Amino acid sequence: MTDTYKDSTAPNATPEEREFEFRSHIGSIWTGGRLAIGVATFMYASLAFAYFYLRSSNNSHLWRIPGQLAPLYYGWTILICMLVMAGLGMYGHSRLRKGFTNDFQVAGWTGVAAGLIALFFQIWELVVLPFYPGSSGYASTFVAFVVMNIMTIVFATYWLETAVARSLRLRKELGGTRPELSSAHTARSFRANVSSMSYYLGYVGIISIGFFLMFYVQ
Amino acid sequence: MTISAERPTETAAGTAAPAGPRRVSWTNRPGWMSQHLGTALVLAFLGYLLGHWWGNHIAGNYHYINGASGQNSVADFLALLLMVVGWLVGIGALNYPIAKLFGREAVEEAPAKGMSRYFRYTLDHKVVGMQYVVGTLLFLFTGGLLAMAIRTELLNPTVHIFNPGTYIEIVSEHGTIMMMMATSVVVGPLGNYLVPLMIGSRRMAFPRIEAFSFWIFSAGYMVIFSALFYGGFPTGWTGYAPLQNQAGPGMISYLFGFAVIGMGMIAAGFNIAVTIINYRAPGMTWSRVPMFVWSILATASLLTLATPVLFSAGLFGILDHVVLTSLYVNEHGGSSYLWENLFWFFGHPEVYIMALPGFGIVAEIVPVFTRKPLFAYKVAAAGMMGVALLSFFVWQHHLFQSGINPDMRPLFMLTTELISIPTGFIYLVGMGSLYKSKMRLEIPMLFSLALYFNFLIGGITGVFLSDVPVNVTVHGSFFVLSHFHYTIMGGLIFAFMAGLYYWLPKMTGYMMNKKLGLWHFWTMFIFFNMTFFPMFIIGLLGQPRRVFEYAHGLQGLNDFSSISAFCLGASFLLFFWNLMYSMIINPKKAPANPWDSLGLEWQTANPVPLYNFERIPVIVTEPYRYSEPGAPAYADFGGGGSDGGSSGAVGSSVEE
Amino acid sequence: MNNEPRHMRRIVTAWVIASVIGDLLWWFLVGPHIPPGNMTESAHWNQFDFNVLAVTAIPVVFMVWLWMGYALVNWRDKPGVPDPVGGEAAKAPYRVQAAWISITSIVVIAAAIYGTVALIGDHGSGGGEGPNPVWAPEGAVAANTAAIQGKATWSPAGHQPLVVQVIAQQWKFTYRYPAFGGMETSRLILPVGTDVVFDVTSLDVIHDFWAYQLSVKADANPGVNNVAFADTHQTGQFMVRCDELCGIWHGAMYNSGRILSKTAFMAWATKTEAQNASNTKYLPPFAWTYTPDANGASGGLYPDGNVTPYSPYDTYGAKQPAS
Repeated sequence: MTDTYKDSTAPNATPEEREFEFRSHIGSIWTGGRLAIGVATFMYASLAFAYFYLRSSNNSHLWRIPGQLAPLYYGWTILICMLVMAGLGMYGHSRLRKGFTNDFQVAGWTGVAAGLIALFFQIWELVVLPFYPGSSGYASTFVAFVVMNIMTIVFATYWLETAVARSLRLRKELGGTRPELSSAHTARSFRANVSSMSYYLGYVGIISIGFFLMFYVQ
Repeated sequence: MTISAERPTETAAGTAAPAGPRRVSWTNRPGWMSQHLGTALVLAFLGYLLGHWWGNHIAGNYHYINGASGQNSVADFLALLLMVVGWLVGIGALNYPIAKLFGREAVEEAPAKGMSRYFRYTLDHKVVGMQYVVGTLLFLFTGGLLAMAIRTELLNPTVHIFNPGTYIEIVSEHGTIMMMMATSVVVGPLGNYLVPLMIGSRRMAFPRIEAFSFWIFSAGYMVIFSALFYGGFPTGWTGYAPLQNQAGPGMISYLFGFAVIGMGMIAAGFNIAVTIINYRAPGMTWSRVPMFVWSILATASLLTLATPVLFSAGLFGILDHVVLTSLYVNEHGGSSYLWENLFWFFGHPEVYIMALPGFGIVAEIVPVFTRKPLFAYKVAAAGMMGVALLSFFVWQHHLFQSGINPDMRPLFMLTTELISIPTGFIYLVGMGSLYKSKMRLEIPMLFSLALYFNFLIGGITGVFLSDVPVNVTVHGSFFVLSHFHYTIMGGLIFAFMAGLYYWLPKMTGYMMNKKLGLWHFWTMFIFFNMTFFPMFIIGLLGQPRRVFEYAHGLQGLNDFSSISAFCLGASFLLFFWNLMYSMIINPKKAPANPWDSLGLEWQTANPVPLYNFERIPVIVTEPYRYSEPGAPAYADFGGGGSDGGSSGAVGSSVEE
Repeated sequence: MNNEPRHMRRIVTAWVIASVIGDLLWWFLVGPHIPPGNMTESAHWNQFDFNVLAVTAIPVVFMVWLWMGYALVNWRDKPGVPDPVGGEAAKAPYRVQAAWISITSIVVIAAAIYGTVALIGDHGSGGGEGPNPVWAPEGAVAANTAAIQGKATWSPAGHQPLVVQVIAQQWKFTYRYPAFGGMETSRLILPVGTDVVFDVTSLDVIHDFWAYQLSVKADANPGVNNVAFADTHQTGQFMVRCDELCGIWHGAMYNSGRILSKTAFMAWATKTEAQNASNTKYLPPFAWTYTPDANGASGGLYPDGNVTPYSPYDTYGAKQPAS
């Protein structure tokens, strides 16, 4: 979400203009974060629609072969890792707001690790599936869910990782000032980004619980 | 503990801090090593080969994937996927996302000069706009040629020029390419170029996402075009499911092509919506936003929210083909209705993605050429947002005869017909603006009036289609085909032409030739109507869409339509000739404000400087205060930084 | 200002005259020839419906066209035309906006209500209504249920609905008459003066059964029973086309059908039934599929036997009407 500010401050911009554009930039990060949630919502909504549609039509009595269930231990692992990632991201944000950059960084790196573990298990789960993709409606939607979840985990982990990496480098760039305290534009932009990210991670947490219930609980 | 000092100089330093060797992007490195269209093509080609090899390596032995056709879907898909990835790597789209992993931010770079920037991952919204002009015209031209082929085949009911497989391939490619073009034809070129100028911003909110949207849009062209080499796909642009599962490898190009274009649509809409919401100049309250920007905002919201559904639907289809899930297969627990629902849930907002920008263009142009304020500004804005909102609730009217939810038909009939209320607002605005005006029939105005003429027919026949009893006869016939050509081509493409004639002097600095323009307009208008109006009758007389054989009695009408279509194609050649002639062969420098517009985009210097505005303008009043003596200029540029806003007085500087 | 012509009065007068003439011409000259004609009850009402919409649309179209034409002639940038009004005076009058919005709303909602009434009153207007038709002619649902259970009958006497199963496949239609031993024909023959129930289904991809003059249109979905109704009025020939893209020979997927008098139909049906008897005895009188089912010849899809056994009648028809 910080794709934005650097490259086009007009060379002759007055300080007022720069401040005005900067406020727009912060607003864009806010709006963009929420809009990203909107995009993800519509994507997951189509998956949920597929799930409930196939479940209620139960074509050929093949919504789900009795006893068919995705590996539960994998499901729990992935869910917990995603929740840890989301929770730590949000926790890190709240600590950052209180001025504890180190907490944010530790929480962030842990969250990234959790995201990577979730990613690993989410991919590996495909290897140990006890059914083949076309065996039922449930199996098919599950495979689609896995693909979508992989995309979500990659994106969320990426966002968290870039935020933490940015916080490390920012400190150098600011000449040692801590990013949560500086009023430099880069630092404010960074904080806005973390704020949007924590909203997004919260959303990911909710989504992961919802879809866990749909796919892993019979 | 001190809060670091608020010194503007230091903030600026923070902004451009990582000067020195830490360059993130190679895009502007001189020489053949830099990233440009050439490297993108090379890497795309290599990616294609790699993907094909990889797919054959991992799945070459799976007979159930290879199927009877001997085609390996995994290899087909991976080839296309890696082709797109290679394309993005080659153009430099991934440089910044990768740099971010290391905590780096973008570095301020000297913008590329000259023509080369049009072949690069350029972040200037004006360059992206021009890239989109070329890109969408390429789509339009390809689709148009295919349309000529369709009309050639339909010259005779029983004598065939193409075999049925080729014919269906042509029809499907025509539909799909045109739909992909139409989603971006205004938002891409004019939206990207003009929105920042019209809202008084120096920039877009997310320039890299914007550049990404164009380059993935062009990758989408390669993907959908590749279907021709795979034997095409037999499903038309709607891609209905059991046929989709039955189809050969061209289907993967279709599904993946829509997913790729979908990503471009999401990216474009995302960036533009955020920009409009946040980067409006000071003083530009929502009641002072130009109408074109309103329409683009409505469109961008639809693009951002509806397209993810298309993306998912495409993903499901790819999974069905590549890993053999059964999401759309009735016999294995899937449902072909699922595709129909998902596709149309996207598909109907899509229809308004293709209509709203046209409304915005004419609403922007009409006040300029009638020299009157826009009639009922707020109604127009409400109409656009109302259409955008309602468009999410009508999708099942495409499925009236499908057997899905028959008891819901009255509801969807109602919501569909309700959409004509906000659409009617657009007519109120247009017609009201004509009242006691002083109309100047320049080319853009002619195209705008043509939109009101054509879209009226398209819209009214839409009411016929939404009425379930009438729908029984007209559904899936040439009637519906004619209906949506009247709305998309008669509406959007005419508006796009109006926009090009109107804004090209701004975008390129050269006027379009008026005489050729008149020829272009009249041939296009007349032959458009001569091509498509008979199709209403053809449809009513019982000719279904996408057939290569039809009743002998309909040959006369079909031939009339075909010959008109060839003339319509010729009128597009006139347009291309005009474009070449006015821009390259005999360029005539455009005056700074050739149409005496009050719009903000015309108040910038010409050509538009890199940062658009010398000073960020302050909007002081409503737009469109034409013919109002003593009205303040729309924007205050702070101390004569520009030519100053023109007054409301009529004073034509157009060379007749 | 007195020299100013009374624009609105002129336009409205011209509009009223043009609309009245246009509507009358349409209603009496064009309307009777609008498809699908009069062959069935729903064809008749759908034609009527089209014409109602047309006479509503004509004034709207004329209004915009006349307005634009008048503006083009009178309000051009040419000598003698006064400068347009700007400022406050050019603001859109509130009452005009309100009038426009309310009139369009009334027209649109009236059209929707009218369409709904026509749809329900005419038993779905010949459109496909899915496996459980919501609006059906009297006795049609019961006849259909009987046919699905293989107990269909039909005789020329009385008003018994005739059930016909329409089976679409790439690239032809087959018609099966459960009341006549499940005989199958490639031409659709129907009796006049009868409620016909079409059970439209497909064996492969989505097709669409479009009996043009009968005003019947129903998607043929594989494994789904899409029911549509028609009440035949006239004898004669009609056209059947596939109306949903179904592959490369979609354009060639058409044939014709005929409506005969009841006695002629009965004679034809009895004769054909006898001719086909040696084949039809191996076929079910009614089915949604020819493919082997999960318990079928291949021994079922799942060797572990986890698929619940089911009867042919509720296979693909999990949502069929309760018997």
